[in-house]
Amino acid sequence: MTASPVAPDKTTQSPPPPRDEAYERKLLSRGRRGRFDVKVSPYLYISPFFLLFLVTGLFPLIYTAWIATRQWNTSTGDAGWAICGKLCDSTDPSWLGNFQWVLHQPDFWLALRNSFSIFLLSTIPQIICALILAAILDANLKAKTFWRMGVLLPYVIAPSAAGIIFSQVFSDNFGVINTILDGIGLEPVQWHASQLASHVAIATIVNFRWTGYNTLILLAAMQAIPRDVFEAAVVDGAGRVRQFLSVTIPMLRPTLIFVIITSTIGGLQIFDEPQMFGNTGTPGGPDKHYLTVSLYLWDLGFNRTTIGQPNLGRAAAVAWLLFIIVVVIAILNFLITRRIASTSGAPTKKKKSAKKELAR
Amino acid sequence: MGSIRTRRGLAATAGIAAIALTLTACGGSGDNAADGGNGSDDQVVIKVSTFNNFGFGAPTAQKPGADLWKKYEALHPNVKIEETVAAKSDDARAAFNTAIATGSGAFDIQAVDVDWMPSIMAQPDKFVDLTDYVKDNDWLDWKTQGATTDDGKLVGAGTDIGPEGICFRSDLLAAAGLPSDRDALKEALGGADATWDKYFELGAQYVQKSGGKAWFDSSAAVFQGMVNQIEESHVSKDGEIIAGTDAKGAQQVKADFDQLTAAALAGQSAGLAQWSDDFNAAFNTDKFATTLCPAWFINNIKGNAGEDFKGWDIADVFPGGGGNWGGSYLVVPEQSKVKEEAAKLAAWLSAPEQQVAVFSAASNYPSSPTAQADPAVAGKVDAFLNDAPVGEIFKNRAAAVTVTPFKGAQYFDIQTKLADALNRVDVTKTQTPAQSWDQWLQDVAGLQ
Repeated sequence: MTASPVAPDKTTQSPPPPRDEAYERKLLSRGRRGRFDVKVSPYLYISPFFLLFLVTGLFPLIYTAWIATRQWNTSTGDAGWAICGKLCDSTDPSWLGNFQWVLHQPDFWLALRNSFSIFLLSTIPQIICALILAAILDANLKAKTFWRMGVLLPYVIAPSAAGIIFSQVFSDNFGVINTILDGIGLEPVQWHASQLASHVAIATIVNFRWTGYNTLILLAAMQAIPRDVFEAAVVDGAGRVRQFLSVTIPMLRPTLIFVIITSTIGGLQIFDEPQMFGNTGTPGGPDKHYLTVSLYLWDLGFNRTTIGQPNLGRAAAVAWLLFIIVVVIAILNFLITRRIASTSGAPTKKKKSAKKELAR
Repeated sequence: MGSIRTRRGLAATAGIAAIALTLTACGGSGDNAADGGNGSDDQVVIKVSTFNNFGFGAPTAQKPGADLWKKYEALHPNVKIEETVAAKSDDARAAFNTAIATGSGAFDIQAVDVDWMPSIMAQPDKFVDLTDYVKDNDWLDWKTQGATTDDGKLVGAGTDIGPEGICFRSDLLAAAGLPSDRDALKEALGGADATWDKYFELGAQYVQKSGGKAWFDSSAAVFQGMVNQIEESHVSKDGEIIAGTDAKGAQQVKADFDQLTAAALAGQSAGLAQWSDDFNAAFNTDKFATTLCPAWFINNIKGNAGEDFKGWDIADVFPGGGGNWGGSYLVVPEQSKVKEEAAKLAAWLSAPEQQVAVFSAASNYPSSPTAQADPAVAGKVDAFLNDAPVGEIFKNRAAAVTVTPFKGAQYFDIQTKLADALNRVDVTKTQTPAQSWDQWLQDVAGLQ
């Protein structure tokens, strides 16, 4: 559509002499087609992703929001607008009913707290470890590829497989760790009975799988840092540690932001590990010590299918609350990370602007 | 110029290929109809979902079985059977609920635990009426009733039942100087008049004489035996939740809870969460001496302890009268593409001859009186259980069942929360019985 007003311009520019109308029309249509091609085909090429996203991402998101406002039972389906019920002493149908119900549940808040605790216990040590490992792998090692592949190996293991193996390692009575602790005369740790111990155990499973993955991403970013920056630092008399803190980390800023945000999303959605860790009874254990938000959502939606209860509507409300929380935390994280990295990275910023000026 | 054109051509091909891929990926789910087929000449694939061990498949070291799939396929050359086995009934239940709710993805035959039958009986329209297919089968009356709607539709074909005895470690009891022979233990527990009081009394003696070893495996497991003897435990027959009220059944639940937690805190419980890794691993140790034993549970003991393990035995006795724990049905969802073939297979699997074959190979006790009377069942002796006459024992145990517990729609959720309450006292040891009971009442309120 936009092509037509431009087209006459172009024809006026072309030399007039040969008044072959058919030829002109041919030229015109070829030009049009060419312009159409240039304008539209890039969007066609990238459309598979967006179509896929529409089907698998956006639609479920919106449909979940719809379900969250309804009294929806897994087996019997929709039964009108949501009702909060006994907990908030109201039987008025309202689209907020399921959200009110969820926010009145002590289990939801417990699950949220557990998710945060496990998320912090896994993400922080994991990113620090990944940074250090990446720095080591970045150095001049023999058999580089071997070490780099080795770091990624745990990531190849399916999360549920890692969960099953670790749940046996962390068994209270017959687990390897407690057997060793017992053997050297220490008190065995009650991995499932103590809140902190269960969080540490689950964070260990997460760290086992994801540290290597983050290491490789950080390593790739480190290798992209121009070597002359390090040479300059060496000339200035900076040692290895100083180079790492003042050059490597600031230069990694965008990658660090990416790693931290993906870890945040993954960490708050944690499901497989606590599910496999407490491989019996109610999800999260009898004390709900390791009940996470995703586990709570799943239990609500797919295990408590009692006829007459709007379990799927409530689960959808949890899903949306989790979605909002993840988005908020991700934005906060982004702001904080940018802050931290930019205060220590002041010189690089100068360098960048200097480069820009040079380019001009 | 030419090179640019080729590159563009390549890119276009790639784009088209990507779109084509997505399209085929989306269309993939429609294939079921094609390979299912309705004509009798076509190859028919019947997908079956079971859990734990139904004993239908080929036998393995961990899971004994009667190899029925092969037999049926030989009888019906156009049928191919694919069985998917979940580890626990809860795992199968979650997937099943989703499939029924969304109206797609259900198996052609689904094995269903009695505890989740109420949710199926609440929506009988979604399941095939099996009445016309099961003419040659017979079941105990209460087994048939459990799967029949008010207007007479039969939605489930009964497989096994779970009459309970007491399994015990004769070596451990002997070492503690207690009666270790199955008849002597039966007498010690009171024979036909066995009570829970006597069970826990003997347990206290065992703890004392064995130097502090546990008497039973898990409070939640023992409670399953107790609650199945209460007619209306958590939900009354008119659909009210009676947990924590002074209704007769609710008071019995409270009394059982108190008695059981007191025994557990006195050291009678091994403090293992049922079905956990620790629980499974404990069957070849001397952690505990007795466990409640529905017929199908012998498969688990064998699998966990190892076929060669010596010491396990079974006594023909059960405290508080008989008890039935578990036992399953086969249902055929209406959404199945091959529901007629599936219904035929379900009927065949639950027929007396096949029930006999399953009990002979594995330990799931028949729900059919004809099968129970079959010499292969009545005369079965189990070498693993020190040559116990299991056929005769389970026949007696089934006859001793007098109460058919009513399990309303909310029963499953409330019972799960009660198992949590027991585990807080017995396994994680984080609460006193009184605290845990109060929290259970709160949890039940939160379910409404």
